[in-house]
Amino acid sequence: MKLSDIAQVIRSKNAGPRRLTLDIMFGSDADYQRVAQSPALGAANIGRLYRVPADQVTIIPYPVGRAIKIVMARAIMAGDPGDFDVYGAQQHAPLLGIEI
Amino acid sequence: MSASGRIIAELRRSPRPIRLLGASGQLGYGTPADSFKAGIERRPDLIGCDMGSIDIGPTYLGKGEMATSPEATRRDLRRVLLAARTLDVPLVIGTAGSAGAGPHLDATLAMLRDIARTDGLRFRMAVMRADMSRPMLLDAIHSGKVTSFDGMPVLTEEDVTEASHIVGQMGMGPFRNALEADVDVIVAGRSCDTAIFAALPALLGYPVGLAMHMAKIIECGSLCCVPGGRDPILAELDHDGFVLESMNPERRATPTSVAAHSLYEQSDPFMMQEPDGTLDLSLAHYEAVDDRRARVTGATWRDSTHPTIKLEGARKIGERAVLLCGSADPRFIAQCKALLPKVADLVQSLVCEELPMDYTLRFRVYGIDGVRMVVPENEPPPNEVFIMGECIAPTRERAAEVVRTCKQFLLHFGYPGRLSTAGNIAFPFTPPEVSLGPAYRFNVYHLLHVDDATALFPVEIESV
Repeated sequence: MKLSDIAQVIRSKNAGPRRLTLDIMFGSDADYQRVAQSPALGAANIGRLYRVPADQVTIIPYPVGRAIKIVMARAIMAGDPGDFDVYGAQQHAPLLGIEI
Repeated sequence: MSASGRIIAELRRSPRPIRLLGASGQLGYGTPADSFKAGIERRPDLIGCDMGSIDIGPTYLGKGEMATSPEATRRDLRRVLLAARTLDVPLVIGTAGSAGAGPHLDATLAMLRDIARTDGLRFRMAVMRADMSRPMLLDAIHSGKVTSFDGMPVLTEEDVTEASHIVGQMGMGPFRNALEADVDVIVAGRSCDTAIFAALPALLGYPVGLAMHMAKIIECGSLCCVPGGRDPILAELDHDGFVLESMNPERRATPTSVAAHSLYEQSDPFMMQEPDGTLDLSLAHYEAVDDRRARVTGATWRDSTHPTIKLEGARKIGERAVLLCGSADPRFIAQCKALLPKVADLVQSLVCEELPMDYTLRFRVYGIDGVRMVVPENEPPPNEVFIMGECIAPTRERAAEVVRTCKQFLLHFGYPGRLSTAGNIAFPFTPPEVSLGPAYRFNVYHLLHVDDATALFPVEIESV
């Protein structure tokens, strides 16, 4: 099953101009638990998808919000020449197809 | 007595829960009239509005321009000012004019004075500037009081002198001083959005952790609800927790939706660094009051022993011009990622005949890789692409010359197998080249270590 079929929210945004944060939120505790325990959402796999070294990817489980947060450095500082996405609001796409 | 003096005296005389209205997470984009009216009918003790953020990018800060339109900004300011004066409660505005530097603050103050004149209002206003003195920053660099974070390079003297504007994010202290100065309206330059709402309850002795957590949520309006939105939100804070209620009946603040909001635009949902200390949400608890209201408890606060001010600055890097065009030719689309650098080389050979290479020219190909920072291999080609060429050059004329030349030679560039020999690209309109004005980048995003996080932001009082 794909992550986009399980999650209620999959979004990205800047956390300051130099970091990107991705939030994945679920509609039930069962869905949250199922994904939170999957290696597909581990730093190694996320690093591979975003071509960032795994040790620069932080995964934060947030059970009280039934959510998983991912934080990584932006390759280009927000608004610098060559930036694609000043707000960082469209960098969630690689997560959508993750198989759980 | 003015509004802040009256509220402080009233709540000290007869303690009760305090009601704060988060009127807008970004004043100037329109405030929903019905939900704002509903909020005012609940007689809040303070109306707060955040006007800006760093998320909008470096150009507004660098240029000293608002991101919002003057008409909509004035309309929103008038709505919140009239309501605050009718209720005789403090109106608190943070990060005035989108980026909170001098020109943004001055434009906001000019609008407020103009509204006061037109509507016959008189009030006492506190103003806090966020612009950082350059000699002070140079001294701070020399004495090792500026540090980098999030991988930013070390701040140099050149960064400080070259930046068009440098602001510091003020915390609760300056707002507290303003509230204690007995005023009706507070307008701050760049500020932490939490300080707008947390300063009043903190000075009245409500637990700072709860006040900060509440502020963190209501500064975004009803974004913490399901469905989330920009309607005003009311918080009622007591000494053990706070209750959140959207002023739009369609939006529900549920325990999960409110808890999830702590993720928004944050890198850590449990620990949040503020200039005055650290907000710890690891013991926060969220429960339903009813279908539409959530009660939040448990947040704690640690005062910082080493206050820091976050600095933001932007410097001009040139003049920007863009070329806007598209293609529906499968052969051109299949080869365009390889062709565009060749077009750029041709353009350079033409525009640099008599001048040095003094510009950058980039292409983003929407449909292929215009949006994503990472693109998987072997994706099937799209049927259409949109191409944006972007030039940053020392002058407006030079940037325009580059994109105009680029337009002509991209249109007629020959390549193997080309069928559409009359032109490679479609223009949605002509001219397809647009001069966008000066381009900026953030060159200051650092921490300034200070002994006193309040002293940098003195309060000026004005009678309007």
